[in-house]
Amino acid sequence: MKIWSTEHVFSYPWETVIKAAMRKYPNPMNPNVVGVDVLDRSLDKEGRLHSHRLLSTEWGLPGIVRAILGTNHTQTYVQEHSIVDPEKKKMELCSTNITLTNLISVDERLLYSPHPDNPDVTILTQEAIITVKGVSLGSYLEGMMAMRMSANAMKDSSSAVPSTFPATPHKAGGFSARRDPLQLVLILPCSGSSDRRCNVAKDEWFLELELRVVGQSLAGVSQCKLKTINSYSNQGKRGIQDHFPYC
Amino acid sequence: MNSVGEACTDMKREYDQCFNRWFAEKFLKGDQSGDPCTESFKRYQLCVQTAIKEKDIPVDGVEFMGPNKDKPES
Repeated sequence: MKIWSTEHVFSYPWETVIKAAMRKYPNPMNPNVVGVDVLDRSLDKEGRLHSHRLLSTEWGLPGIVRAILGTNHTQTYVQEHSIVDPEKKKMELCSTNITLTNLISVDERLLYSPHPDNPDVTILTQEAIITVKGVSLGSYLEGMMAMRMSANAMKDSSSAVPSTFPATPHKAGGFSARRDPLQLVLILPCSGSSDRRCNVAKDEWFLELELRVVGQSLAGVSQCKLKTINSYSNQGKRGIQDHFPYC
Repeated sequence: MNSVGEACTDMKREYDQCFNRWFAEKFLKGDQSGDPCTESFKRYQLCVQTAIKEKDIPVDGVEFMGPNKDKPES
């Protein structure tokens, strides 16, 4: 159930891109990653380097959101396995979240290799499989964007290597740097016919929610807004806008 | 960049510097002889494993999940 995939070209040879990719964090374009640790590293019989890493991410979610998500932890963790093949010039990276797994799985796969048409240039193929769990309707989201990771991937890529490609303007719904309010677009199934945000009689089963952390109060508490942007049916979008602040 | 365990950050930085140097100057150039970072890695690892246990982070050997595999509930 592939949700999205994207290709990106770096105007640098593979070795340069790989060296930068291994040192991707800290990354001002993705300041939510606050910790990176190597859990294990080894060479296999074919001379490829395997690394297992743990990434700690801090979203600064306010208490009410943590309560909704059912977690007391402020950090979420991602486990990553990468394989670097210096002979074939291939770096493959797979990551998956290991917390909040009862709600959502975000499995990501990245592949860095020299561009087939130009060996001085590198191509990155990135794909994500996103699965939302705990669905009262027992159905998964097929073919819908749960999170706008493309914008993030572009930003990550553009900061890791000094580059000539244009910066992606921040799109509503992407993860943004802390300088801007944190925005997250979630597509979640409605929690049954009692969920007044969905009109089940009209076959509306899915909600697109925008969660924005808009600032901090003087007491240091994050202020947020949770806005319903749209509700969807299985057959496609229906445009109902419903606004309500959660905080 | 910090480590998941606050106490491990210095060890992490020391290991990272060693690794990045070996990676760029040896590994990518096809020289896989001798990893000079094993000592610093061992120290760093001990610290990280302790921090992971303390923070109860559910690290395991699970590989990338395809669409047909189940994830353990957390």
